[in-house]
Amino acid sequence: MLDEEQVALFLASRIIARGNKGTLLLTVMIIAMVFVNLIFLPSIIAGVVVLFNQQTIDYSYANLVVEPREGSLYISNPTSLVEKINRIPGVVASTPRYSGGATIEHKGKSTTPLVIAIDPDREPEVMKVHTGIISGDYLSDSDTGQILLGTTLAGDREQKVERTPTLGGVEVGKTVEVTFRNGVTKQFRVKGILKTGTSLIDNNAYINRHDLVGVLGEEDPANQVLVKTTTTGNENAMRLLLMQYGVQEQIWTWQDKSADFLKSIVGSFDIINLISTAVSLVIAVVVIFIVIFISIVYRRRQIGILQAIGIDRRIIIKSYIFQALFICSCGTICGCLLLLAVIQYLAAFPLVFPGGPVAPVLESGLVLRSIISLFVVALIAGFVPSWLTTREEILAAIRG
Amino acid sequence: MIHAHGLSKIYGRGNVEVRALDGIDLEIQRGEFVGVMGASGSGKSTLLHLIGLLDRPSSGTLIIADTDVTRLSEQERTIFRLNRLGYVFQDYALVPELTAEENIFLPSRVRGMTATECTRTCRDILGLVGLRDRVSFLPGELSGGEQQRVAIARALVNNPALLLADEPCANLDSRNSVLILDLIRKLNRDLRQTVVMVSHEDWHRKYFDRVLYLQDGKIVEDPGAKSMPATP
Repeated sequence: MLDEEQVALFLASRIIARGNKGTLLLTVMIIAMVFVNLIFLPSIIAGVVVLFNQQTIDYSYANLVVEPREGSLYISNPTSLVEKINRIPGVVASTPRYSGGATIEHKGKSTTPLVIAIDPDREPEVMKVHTGIISGDYLSDSDTGQILLGTTLAGDREQKVERTPTLGGVEVGKTVEVTFRNGVTKQFRVKGILKTGTSLIDNNAYINRHDLVGVLGEEDPANQVLVKTTTTGNENAMRLLLMQYGVQEQIWTWQDKSADFLKSIVGSFDIINLISTAVSLVIAVVVIFIVIFISIVYRRRQIGILQAIGIDRRIIIKSYIFQALFICSCGTICGCLLLLAVIQYLAAFPLVFPGGPVAPVLESGLVLRSIISLFVVALIAGFVPSWLTTREEILAAIRG
Repeated sequence: MIHAHGLSKIYGRGNVEVRALDGIDLEIQRGEFVGVMGASGSGKSTLLHLIGLLDRPSSGTLIIADTDVTRLSEQERTIFRLNRLGYVFQDYALVPELTAEENIFLPSRVRGMTATECTRTCRDILGLVGLRDRVSFLPGELSGGEQQRVAIARALVNNPALLLADEPCANLDSRNSVLILDLIRKLNRDLRQTVVMVSHEDWHRKYFDRVLYLQDGKIVEDPGAKSMPATP
């Protein structure tokens, strides 16, 4: 290290070590808070996005969705297609579904949710709908005339004002009447109520695919096959693989299927995130600048004296930059510890959003960007006031 | 050592101007101990600030140790202050976070001495001012007189051509004042150190080889004055 830097470092280290500990601690804590502020909200928003994505995979589409060829309403021979897909490397399992609108009535109240016909035995290998049962039981493969209702769809007898149309509080064991789009009406006994926390799913009804045989006139009715892959993130490659293995139906990734919905949510969050980060950064700049500026202005006389005894202004400026960088380093480390503590706490007691519990997600890029931003600010905050002070007349600085 | 001709300093803004120094002619020889005295506002501190290169004259010439300091750039003035001048302030002006030794260490380290050389020089010079046992004391742990002695040691560490002292006893009691004045006198005699010291205490006269008495920015009494040669 050059002599100049050594002297600056010597001066900075002594001023920090023997200066006012209270002021130092306060400054470090302010920077720590600014650091947490820079990262916390974006990490919550990232957590919400991760939650939405995971719920889309777990409850709506799995990783891939196979749909009928163009011009067809149904997938031909879905059971053999499922078996074929299950043999493809990288596929965990797949399950056929038929989903379509229907009207459900109970004691004069009716609503038109999505009714999804599933294979109850295959479904848990691909989806997590079965984990959401809060009352009654999940469907079994031998069930006929049984239905699962989402908790929103089932409704609540105590609720006076309904945000969405419901059946007014149906309980397990009650009977509902389902009228399919082709006009066929059938009675179903409520076997279970499920709650996933995802409003779209909690508004659906689930029946056994056997029950549709008589309704649609198809032996093996399905308009979707949901495919779970071993890893999430390589859906496009898996789609190509399925095609290479001879799957001729249309294949979509979960991102394709939820594009509009997720894009609008993520897009809105991105805007909030951008504004929040910009505001936090401005606050960080102002706070750090003011704190370090005040510290330097307080030492204006000392800077004048150092110049008077022949200490080069570059050494003085560098010593203040070193001080600012040291304070910023301590602040960042404290901020990281604080953030880890908050994240640990929220992992144990997650924030509950309408879509479910949200834990903050720390993105290394964001943390790195925040650290770099703080250091740039500290560099400027250390440089500008010391540069200004060393530029003024020595006597003016000494007189304070 | 110091040769000033027509040295003036005018403060002011717009039409209002104050002549703090008004065409001073001055010559100080190497090894002299010169006192600068005068009433408040007479210009004695301004003269010391100009000689100490803390301020620039409005006009005139100032030559210190054969260097025309009025022509120096800001960077050159800093180097000149470091290498050729030692400045003792009225209120000691030590860095509160540095020990006595570190306060003295700083200018010598900046001058390029190694850490070992600095430490040895600092200890020697602290011994010279009678503070060898206060090496690791912070300024706040020293008495006023001790702090001023550290300040003198700091001013002397780079072996300057000229020692400037701006009322160094102003904040000290009479016992400590005597100690400081004796010390400066001793340094002046033993090291042949040229000293210019501002004072308003009449009893300090006995320490000085010569007294410059200022009034309204002009020297009105200078026993060593002689006709000045024109500046080349």
